[in-house]
Amino acid sequence: MKKYYLLKITCWAFLIMSTFSCSSDLNFDQVNDLKLQPVVEGNLSYFNVAATDFLADNGSEYNLVLDSQDFDIFRDRYLNDYLQKADLHFEITNTINRAFKADILLLNDNDQVLYTISFDIPASAGTPTVISKMEIFENAKLQLLKNTRKLQFALTVKSGPAFNSNSTGNLILRSSATVYLEIE
Amino acid sequence: MRKIIAFFFVLISLNCFSQNKQLLYNFTSVPQSLMTNPGADFKYKYYFGVPLLSGFSFKTASSGFSAYDLFANDGVDFNQKLRNVVYSTSRRDHAAVNEQIEILNGGIKLGDWLDNKGYLSFGLYQEFDFFSYMPKDLAILALDGNQNYIGKSFNLADLSVKAEAVTVLHLGYHKNLSEKLIVGARGKVYFSGFNATSTQNSGSIITTNSNTTVYNQIINSNLELKTSGVSKYTTDEYDGDVAGDIQKQMLFGGDLGLGFDLGFTYYPKKNTQITASILDVGFVNHSKDVENYTLKGYYNYQGINPDFSNTDDPESIYDDFREAIPLDTLYTKYTTWRPVKLNASYQYSFGTATDEDCVCIAGEKSYKNAVGAQLFVMSTPRTPITALTGFYRRNVSDKLHLKATYTLDSYSYTNIGLGLSADIGKFNMYFMADNLLEYRDVSKANSLSFQFGFNFIFKDSNEPPYSQ
Repeated sequence: MKKYYLLKITCWAFLIMSTFSCSSDLNFDQVNDLKLQPVVEGNLSYFNVAATDFLADNGSEYNLVLDSQDFDIFRDRYLNDYLQKADLHFEITNTINRAFKADILLLNDNDQVLYTISFDIPASAGTPTVISKMEIFENAKLQLLKNTRKLQFALTVKSGPAFNSNSTGNLILRSSATVYLEIE
Repeated sequence: MRKIIAFFFVLISLNCFSQNKQLLYNFTSVPQSLMTNPGADFKYKYYFGVPLLSGFSFKTASSGFSAYDLFANDGVDFNQKLRNVVYSTSRRDHAAVNEQIEILNGGIKLGDWLDNKGYLSFGLYQEFDFFSYMPKDLAILALDGNQNYIGKSFNLADLSVKAEAVTVLHLGYHKNLSEKLIVGARGKVYFSGFNATSTQNSGSIITTNSNTTVYNQIINSNLELKTSGVSKYTTDEYDGDVAGDIQKQMLFGGDLGLGFDLGFTYYPKKNTQITASILDVGFVNHSKDVENYTLKGYYNYQGINPDFSNTDDPESIYDDFREAIPLDTLYTKYTTWRPVKLNASYQYSFGTATDEDCVCIAGEKSYKNAVGAQLFVMSTPRTPITALTGFYRRNVSDKLHLKATYTLDSYSYTNIGLGLSADIGKFNMYFMADNLLEYRDVSKANSLSFQFGFNFIFKDSNEPPYSQ
């Protein structure tokens, strides 16, 4: 008799528990919808060239200075896949009393120019000249950025008062990138 | 990449642990209470558990969020739910799973019925542990990037996670030193099936505004993931049965460790009982199939900056970064410590079953009721987890024992648990579950645990063996 009593209690306990127990509708497949969309801010480029940097040792003037840098971030297969859009922000400040043309060339592996970002920079007349520009790379244009492996910077000095060792002022580029990624 | 992230969140959302067995602790009508206190006041002639069914326990816990928050089938975009969870939790929130299954368990009294030579208990069980803190800063970085967080230092120490599976072979001994004091100890040999530990991380990722370059961007990384018994499953060539191979590895191929439990039960008065135990003071030495991955270094990213005055070789940012913070694989042995658990209880008993002529039966069994409090503390990679339990125990009859608990811990303030142990002849069965209120909707539970098992118990008696 006692055994039945025990069994009864046990059964009741579990019956009650299972009756009250329930679970809301869960769907674990939702993990497949996981999509990370981070927006990353980063430095793109910076230079600060003094007026005297355009003077050669013999006192003559360079009217074109060039430098190339590797740009191989998108060599990374994953980053290349994840990249959806990139906004490149540029800000050039000129305190030199000469006008410039600045070009940033996007080159591929074979040094072919894929895209050129150009700036016409007026001379400074006592106050700094500031030029801002934003280049948005998305859709077809984005592919150009993804194929870029090198950046070439070219500064062309336009005509104006000749430089000498007492020339003052600087040409400064500050540039950043806003990179939109999508990781699925 | 996606697989790794998905796996991580599924694991976390399993709402996993804390190993607090507040119902089983000191529930001395169940042999498995010896596993939570080797000095428990449990007397027997001998007992053995039904193989594989003597003890099963499962515990999941997560502070700060529940499975429902992440996986509710409510039409809300999963990424939005994930974002809500990440932003509503803190780096102190954690998720844990602990699962134990006894393969063999048994015990025997030493000497004959008159002797006081103590009791042996022994067995083999498997245990799986997962513990992770909320990697909050890294999750924000992955979800939203740094755009809205210029000036914020993302803390890499937020990443703290470990997982392991061990098989434990144990042998315990407890003895009545006097009528008032029982002490016990248990030695353990751990066979590690696999281990993955990443709990010693530090460093930061920070972007601040700068006067020269647009940003000052610094990555200071000191990340390390130690693994043993895992690497062979992650190679491309492997095509076997992971679960099966890990099972084999847990007994024969894995790493070895040693540990012990200690405990006592003390009766200052007949109706008052104090117990305490410390469990799993031990280590596992990982030396086989070890692969440790590190990302350590310092990198200050300034951009792709031309240098018009020199015609030097172009620098590669990509290579610079990889050289500054290289992904290294090391094969050095390492040691992990088992999570140490501390239990203590105070119990007051009242209401004797036979208060007529003779209250002559020794021990707590003569009381029908007991109330008391229990304390549980467990070590984690950061601050220990603490839980406080109040309980009421009722011995309905010699054969039916009930225990009800109310537990306060970091997971909930409404944790009510119920345990039941019933003897039918020599056959003993027990069922215990906590967070009963959460069973209204288990998907919204922050913590759930249950234990059950079946044993055969042959009671110790004060009678000579052949007098019955």
